[in-house]
Amino acid sequence: MTKEKKAHSMPSNIFFFVRLLFKVSPLLVIGEFVWGILQILPSRLISVIGVKYIIDVVTSGERLERIFSAVGIIAAVLVLSTLMSWLYREFFWNMEKEKVHYGLNKTLYEKAKKLDQESYDNPDFYNNFILTVESSSDNIQNLLGLVRNYFGNLISLVTISGVLISIDPVCLLIILVFISGFLPLSRKIGNLQMGRRIDNTKFHRRSDYFQRIFYLQEYCKEVRMNDISPLLVERYNDAADDVISNQRRYWKKISSLYMLQESGIQICGFMFALPLYLGYCVLVKESITPGDFVAAFNGAHSIAVSINFLTVWAVAVFSERGKMIEKYREFLACDFKIKDGEKVAEPSTPKEIKIENLSFTYPGNSEPTLKNINLTIKPYEKIALVGFNGAGKTTLTNLLLRLYDATEGRILIDGEDIRDFTLDSHRSRFAAVFQDFQIFSCTLKENVSLDKEAVDEKIKKALEHSGFEKKLKKGLETELLREFDDEGAMLSGGESQKVAIARAFYKNCPYVILDEPSANLDPVAEYNLNKAMTEASENKSVIFISHRLSTTVHADRIYVMENGMITESGSHEELIRKNGTYAYMFNLQAEKYRKEA
Amino acid sequence: MGPRPMIRGSGRWDKNAKVPMVKNIVFALRLVWKADKRLLLCSFFNHTAEIVFSLFVQNILFLKVLLGIIDSKGDFKEYLKNLFLFLALAVVLKGINWFSSYLRQVSTKKVLKELNNMVFKKAIELDVSCYEDPAFYDKYQRATQILAWGLFDNVCSNVASIFGGVVALLLVVGTVSAIDPVYLVFLLPVSLVFAVELFKSKQVYKRDKEMTTNNRIKAYVQRTVFLKEYSKDMRTSNIFLVLMERFKAAIEANLLILKKYGLKLFVFSMISSLFSDFIPLIGTYAFAAYQFVFEKSMTVSGFSVVLSSINSVRESTMRIAGSFEMLSQEAFYFQNLKDFFDYETKVESGRKICEKIETLEFKNVSFRYPSGKSNVLENVSFKIENGETVALVGVNGAGKSTIVKLMLRFYDVSEGEILINGINIKEYDLKSLRSSYGVVFQDYKNFAVSVYENVLCHECSDEEKERAKTALIQSGIWEKISSLSKGGDTVLTKEFESDGTGLSGGENQKISVARLFAKDFSFAVLDEPSSALDPIAEYKMYESLIEVTKGKTVLYISHRLSSAILSNRIIVIGNKTVLENGSHAQLMELGGEYSKMFSLQASSYRKEEGEEEND
Repeated sequence: MTKEKKAHSMPSNIFFFVRLLFKVSPLLVIGEFVWGILQILPSRLISVIGVKYIIDVVTSGERLERIFSAVGIIAAVLVLSTLMSWLYREFFWNMEKEKVHYGLNKTLYEKAKKLDQESYDNPDFYNNFILTVESSSDNIQNLLGLVRNYFGNLISLVTISGVLISIDPVCLLIILVFISGFLPLSRKIGNLQMGRRIDNTKFHRRSDYFQRIFYLQEYCKEVRMNDISPLLVERYNDAADDVISNQRRYWKKISSLYMLQESGIQICGFMFALPLYLGYCVLVKESITPGDFVAAFNGAHSIAVSINFLTVWAVAVFSERGKMIEKYREFLACDFKIKDGEKVAEPSTPKEIKIENLSFTYPGNSEPTLKNINLTIKPYEKIALVGFNGAGKTTLTNLLLRLYDATEGRILIDGEDIRDFTLDSHRSRFAAVFQDFQIFSCTLKENVSLDKEAVDEKIKKALEHSGFEKKLKKGLETELLREFDDEGAMLSGGESQKVAIARAFYKNCPYVILDEPSANLDPVAEYNLNKAMTEASENKSVIFISHRLSTTVHADRIYVMENGMITESGSHEELIRKNGTYAYMFNLQAEKYRKEA
Repeated sequence: MGPRPMIRGSGRWDKNAKVPMVKNIVFALRLVWKADKRLLLCSFFNHTAEIVFSLFVQNILFLKVLLGIIDSKGDFKEYLKNLFLFLALAVVLKGINWFSSYLRQVSTKKVLKELNNMVFKKAIELDVSCYEDPAFYDKYQRATQILAWGLFDNVCSNVASIFGGVVALLLVVGTVSAIDPVYLVFLLPVSLVFAVELFKSKQVYKRDKEMTTNNRIKAYVQRTVFLKEYSKDMRTSNIFLVLMERFKAAIEANLLILKKYGLKLFVFSMISSLFSDFIPLIGTYAFAAYQFVFEKSMTVSGFSVVLSSINSVRESTMRIAGSFEMLSQEAFYFQNLKDFFDYETKVESGRKICEKIETLEFKNVSFRYPSGKSNVLENVSFKIENGETVALVGVNGAGKSTIVKLMLRFYDVSEGEILINGINIKEYDLKSLRSSYGVVFQDYKNFAVSVYENVLCHECSDEEKERAKTALIQSGIWEKISSLSKGGDTVLTKEFESDGTGLSGGENQKISVARLFAKDFSFAVLDEPSSALDPIAEYKMYESLIEVTKGKTVLYISHRLSSAILSNRIIVIGNKTVLENGSHAQLMELGGEYSKMFSLQASSYRKEEGEEEND
């Protein structure tokens, strides 16, 4: 996550991205250049050289029949270039763009998957990260269009300038003087636009939130049962007003600068100075022909359009894109804190897990979440972590999985520091069911195996163990969620949890972590789960976190965590006898059952 | 002659379109007009001034006047005088353009605000079923895209562009017909472009629709990659590979669709170019050449102006066609917004004001979800008396939450009736009915407003803050809240409030419970209110629940049967209906479903007790 300090220059960024595109689809990039020329050059050449040729032939009065061949050439050029443009646009462009989208995003996603878990907690990095991923297709589309038009305009500018020089170099000089005089304003406009957008984003973040509440399903019940909507609307309006005044503040400056620039170049330059000179040449000096006058006039117009695009437009958009690409590069170049070790962990039977003097502080926090934890999990042991909300139980499992690395101390498996292993091989030793497990929009089978390949029989067995009984239309091949399959199966909270637990049963690994595995289950399901867990995990070490102490009774060893420390440990009987926090918590829960018994 | 065919053309094609374009665009313009008049006005000034300047004044009028002087070997002074006149005209037109573009940028955000307010107002009236119906939700989503993408602004720009284009066309056509009306023959085919473009845009829409599912997969994969909630599963399993395969398959499916439509679109595009480019341009050149050679009647200035005119005609028609194409696509979106605004709420409010819920009775209630194939509840009957505490228990998916949804009138029953104080629930005023309930949902939500505001649901005075504080103390979260930098005024988000805070699941739940405590309700509904809490917090919460709900009617749903014991009565739901109904003692004696569940859950605790005794 260390950022490169020095930002790249805008051209370097653009070049970087074009090269990236070229790697994925060389034909697309070349095609864009050709298309750019085809789109712009023929029509502009016709309006300059074509017209001049015809007028000159007419005024000289010689070989009039030549006009027809000129018209024939113009027609041929026009039809041919249009034909090629459309062929490219409707077939090649659409499809290649889709392929490029795949190629670039694949790289991004693969990088994203390797990011440290910690990155998600760092808002600055995370926002940039989302921006990068989300703008990736935009970048492709916009940049292709920009590069295409840039190239087309550049070629056209050079060609038409050449024609103008051959008529009268002073014409070109006048154009250049005015342009170079007012060009620097673009930079200022660009900066203002960027500032406006950044400020707007800030305000929009707030207004978007309140907008979302009215739109998202998860809020609809709460909004209907409590009369909170006037407050939410008011908050939205406050944010929207901020956007409006921000917009006003910036556009006042931006449009004045635009005015200044356009008056300078378009009006003073192209509608006054240039025609003044041309008129003088034709009427007073008589140094150029009326054909030249028209050609220079049309040519200047085409140069104005080109330069307007190349400078005002393209520079502003390029520098904005450049900044996006900078973020993109930063993201691709960012380093990971959690590094691969060299050893590959072999699949094996459970070994001893030893946690030594482990302390951990979340980045950005001042207080450590875990303080000097020591514990040993013997092979095949079932241990339970209990404690209040926020005691650090989940954090401890995060460290075991190397989603984070310890600030101090170490974790050993079979005597070897887990940081010495490659991440993939280390993590593959664990099956973890998280408290906030997710169901994916994939088939039931894939949701259990969480892998491309799966053995049907084993999956059925895992689901059986976890108590998943719901009959689905297409069995294991049924899609879950309705994200994109209207026939997809919607599971209740309890059923989803059973699917998640089945993952742990399915995965062939020595260690299992279960974080609140029964939170969404009804009593019957919970009882069955406890039973199944004991059966299915006979040859595994199990770590589970639970609020319901009825499930911890069967653990070989219970660790009570408070404020990031282990305050009690021992078997259920030992802890009850000790009459500490655990006994207090247990009795609180058991009390009512006892009374009734 | 230019504009008339366009109007005729558009009218004709509208009849065949699935979504009436003109009607929807008029709807859109009206809406924008209602929100802020400046946007539409400025769009018109802005685009008209810009198009007329660039397509007529600069290209044609200017050239015609100057070349006219050159052609007749005129005086340089006269030339100079005209140059200054144009300078003045340009400044005026550009001035209009600049000023209106500034106002437009401000106004567009104002319109966004007003439209959002309209949407909010409607959204609150929607039935809950709308949010659970994918077809409606899709529509709603597309309607809100009008706001997210600024389509309302685009509609104004496009309509104004068409207007500006027509004005420019009229001026150009007038100029050309003054030179030689025959040239207009080559301009006529341009009118057909609209028809072609409309056909083409329909194909594009059809194509994009076919790609919707694939694009949704693409978006889904992207989301799973960057959302935090997926990050842990993604890192500890190989699900990433599965998702990437889906992503690839979606791209491949899209490629096939793009290929399928490629040829059609190519043909349409070529026909469009034939009418808009080939015929006018080549025709004009050929005719001018013919006149030069055989009639020798063309002047250099006339010829040049006609040639420039073609460019202007082409560009203005392309603009008009482009705007049309976009408008026809935007019309589809506005149809969705219109449908959204036109939606008639199914759960209609009655007239009777509900002051207090004394009794609540389900009488032979059956229910099936609008999209469902079978009943979720069948013949459910029970009655809850004033002041009772009733627990609703049953296995997952038994229909407990559905019963709550019916009580709150999120849905109306399919058969049977629900009586409140002996009167059908449908006769009550919806707002007063719902405010008589205090509810904590299983999927409770808090809002990014201050803690106090989350509790009281409105901005609060100091006095009211005290009330909120009491509720927070009762729900056991005050200690945590008072430790925050701004106490109860702290906003519950870090998303856009730098001194805001994010709370844990359990803490959030306590805030939701505090909301219940602060509300003046007569009937409390608690859907798993302690699921996110640790044992001690759970114990304390139940204690204060008992305290706060004293004398009030309480219905709660819980998996933990230990808490069911606290109730006067337990209703067991199973097989879509009421299985058992009675006190804990009665049900234990009955030896049915409930006693089975209870024994199971209690077994581990009881066994423990036995073992202890053995020790």
